[in-house]
Amino acid sequence: MSRRQLWTGIAALCVSLFIFVVPFVFILFMAVKDKRAASKLEFSWPTEWHLWANLIEVVEARNYMLLLAYFNSTVITVGAVSLIVIFSAMVGYILQRRHSRWNSLIWAGVMAGLMVPPAVVPTIWVLQNLGLFKTIHGMVLIQTAYGLSFAILLFRSFISTIPRDLDEAAIIDGAKPLQIFFRVILPLLKPATVTIIVVQSIAIFNDFTNPLYYLPGKENVTVQLTLFNFQSQFVSQLNLLFMNILLITIPPLIVYIFFNRQIVAGMTSGAVKG
Amino acid sequence: MARVTLKNVTKSFGAVEVIKGVNLEVDDGEFCVFVGPSGCGKSTLLRIISGLEDTTSGSIEIDGVDVSGEEPSKRGIAMVFQSYALYPHLTVRENIGFGLSLAKLPKAEIKAKVDAAAEKLQLTDYLDRKPKALSGGQRQRVAIGRAIVRDPKVFLFDEPLSNLDAALRSQMRIELTDLHAELGATMIYVTHDQVEAMTMADKIVVLNAGKIEQVGSPMELYNHPVSPFVAGFIGSPKMNLLEGDVAKGMGCSTYGVRPEHLEITEDGIWGGKVRHLERLGADTVVYLDTKEAGSVVVRTVGDLAVKVGDVLRVRPMAGKEHKF
Amino acid sequence: MKRKSHYPYWFVFPAAVIFTTLFLVPSVASLWFSFTRWDLFHAEYIGLENFVQFFKEPFLVQGMVNTVIFAFVTSGMKTVLGLLLAVLLTSGIFAQGFLRILVFFPVLVSTIGVGITFTRLMHPTKGAINIALAHMGIDGPGWLTDPSLALFSVALVDVWKGVGLATLIYIAGLASISPEYYEASRIDGATRLQQFWRVTVPLVRPATVTVITLSLIGGLRSFDIVWAMTKGGPGFSSDVLASVIYKQYQAGFYGLSTAGNVILFALVALIVIPLVSWMNRKEVEQ
Repeated sequence: MSRRQLWTGIAALCVSLFIFVVPFVFILFMAVKDKRAASKLEFSWPTEWHLWANLIEVVEARNYMLLLAYFNSTVITVGAVSLIVIFSAMVGYILQRRHSRWNSLIWAGVMAGLMVPPAVVPTIWVLQNLGLFKTIHGMVLIQTAYGLSFAILLFRSFISTIPRDLDEAAIIDGAKPLQIFFRVILPLLKPATVTIIVVQSIAIFNDFTNPLYYLPGKENVTVQLTLFNFQSQFVSQLNLLFMNILLITIPPLIVYIFFNRQIVAGMTSGAVKG
Repeated sequence: MARVTLKNVTKSFGAVEVIKGVNLEVDDGEFCVFVGPSGCGKSTLLRIISGLEDTTSGSIEIDGVDVSGEEPSKRGIAMVFQSYALYPHLTVRENIGFGLSLAKLPKAEIKAKVDAAAEKLQLTDYLDRKPKALSGGQRQRVAIGRAIVRDPKVFLFDEPLSNLDAALRSQMRIELTDLHAELGATMIYVTHDQVEAMTMADKIVVLNAGKIEQVGSPMELYNHPVSPFVAGFIGSPKMNLLEGDVAKGMGCSTYGVRPEHLEITEDGIWGGKVRHLERLGADTVVYLDTKEAGSVVVRTVGDLAVKVGDVLRVRPMAGKEHKF
Repeated sequence: MKRKSHYPYWFVFPAAVIFTTLFLVPSVASLWFSFTRWDLFHAEYIGLENFVQFFKEPFLVQGMVNTVIFAFVTSGMKTVLGLLLAVLLTSGIFAQGFLRILVFFPVLVSTIGVGITFTRLMHPTKGAINIALAHMGIDGPGWLTDPSLALFSVALVDVWKGVGLATLIYIAGLASISPEYYEASRIDGATRLQQFWRVTVPLVRPATVTVITLSLIGGLRSFDIVWAMTKGGPGFSSDVLASVIYKQYQAGFYGLSTAGNVILFALVALIVIPLVSWMNRKEVEQ
């Protein structure tokens, strides 16, 4: 490393500490202050640390609503991500392996899914007619529908790296289509699968808009919604609001630490080919 | 007992006809090699026999039973792929036993069969490894092992040696020939390498542009090629094929003579300067620019005392020429 | 003889059913409902009235204009800053890996959390930003309270949160450029700046197309960052189409809300499709 690289790095580090770290430190400071200190909005070292007390208070607020929200968000995330992985891998597989005029129709659907903003009120209308409005499983299906396109794209390009010979060897070994898919293809998709699980989990866990529209109601509250609801409730208790922010920032942070590589792979999958 | 019979088989991909009416009989226990340049349809023909491709018309019979509409797994065939197609996520044992486990055979029986195949192929020590941890030759043997445990009536090989280096390739040729002798099964083998065809086959099928050019034993094809294509394809260095006035003078449209069937004599009918020499040790290959017949290749003794630029005269040996 | 394919079409079926019912059907239905006065149970056809209203009401028009401004400002800044950051973070500087992590982390954090945090940091009198500016002798603006500034403040936060993704995509794009181009241009006597304009920018083009496409689509559809920070205020000064759609939905004007959706879709189609096909055509020409 040259001197120039060293000093540029140090300069960049200072600037980005300022821009990218200060807001997170601010969250932390606010979360551990008491009510009065927090209301000053100062970026200052907390004089007293109320980490545990604030934590307990946030968790207990509104009859443990945050725990319920964590539970709901987890159910929705796990459910939707499982469906996305299985169903979109199946579509990506057919799309890559079989060539016919249906493919362009499937492609059109995938592209529409990536570009078209969902029509919210008509979606509510459909959900109501199906009895899925305000239900957790309805939310799971919505998140699945919205997440399929990206996952199909990623799986399709990954499947193109798996030689067709493997399918054919399995056919000669007597495997049925489902057996080929589940016993040969799906295990080989592991890197792409991990990427999709991580990226989609974070997206769905952090999603605010869709639960806001499709999952109203106290018993269905999700993590992002509690944060939003608490905003009006905790106007005078910013320390608790920021404790809540801190709590919902932790899951993505943990995921990021463990799956940094897969996230990068997933997020950049479109970059090189364009 | 397994005879493979192809009757008027054709295959089109869209508007392109890649197999143009093939009739062929492969006898029980025969080692039959499909050979031809790339794009001649030899791999497609193999895949049609395996059932991985449908026929457009015509039928395939194995032991007199029409299997044209049958699933690959029901045809009693096994196939070894050019890429080996080993399942990367399974161990050698699981790879070899994959088909048996799909067929829901008892575990003990699978184990016994896999162990026997591994023993035969000297893979016993590698059964718990993943394919990634094997050498090219070992992977090749696993692919063969996977074929053996199916106990097929017909083995199909799709250019199985083309990913190996030259030394290993000649060793595997011998191993495959031994395996054929040991199992006595019918084997159909696709290659673009005429050396593999000549050294291993009982019967060679030369394919060109979706049609059979000639079927016969290696020496039949060498001695009596029916067309300039077969003549040029079998034998190395390639047969000299002369057209135009030289051929007309010999009373045919193409006149062929193998490099090893040209003798160097003072009173040869063709003469000219040596353009290039290849010293192979036992042999010398001489590239000669003749006035009468243009460029010809001559194969002669290793210690021939000539150099580039010398003038030589050559003569085709009597009875060794081919007229088409 | 034809046999059944080993790649059966029913594999597509589960995904197709979910996608069709919950995405395609509502999207197509929105075209009809946008021409109606609608309360979810009864839809009364009123022709183009909803659209007329959208183009007549000043605050609805402002929402549309704001959407386009927001999308182009955020997309432009993400593209430029993303490329510069990516060049910086691939130049082998000190703490490069750590810096990449820092820049990318906001992408993964809840938008609502980010919005709430910055709302406090941008408080006109007590916010840390203006206090810091005051220390430097600058009188900080009312970031979110000044109607002419609110939309841009939100856009700035959106860039703060999203620039990491653009950077990451550019880093991948830069990694795929063979170092030989830089060596060859150095031998030809190019300066670092010339290398940036003549080698990096043209060769990183696929990444640029991806970044612009993604950030434009995302920018046009933005809702949660706006909602968390200003709810479209002050007044309607930072309203975008997505927040208008939500407000009309809340107020029970379902037909109008859906018309907003159709307009948003038209906007995405009119801006993104020509742009992407133009960028891709230029790529082919090169």
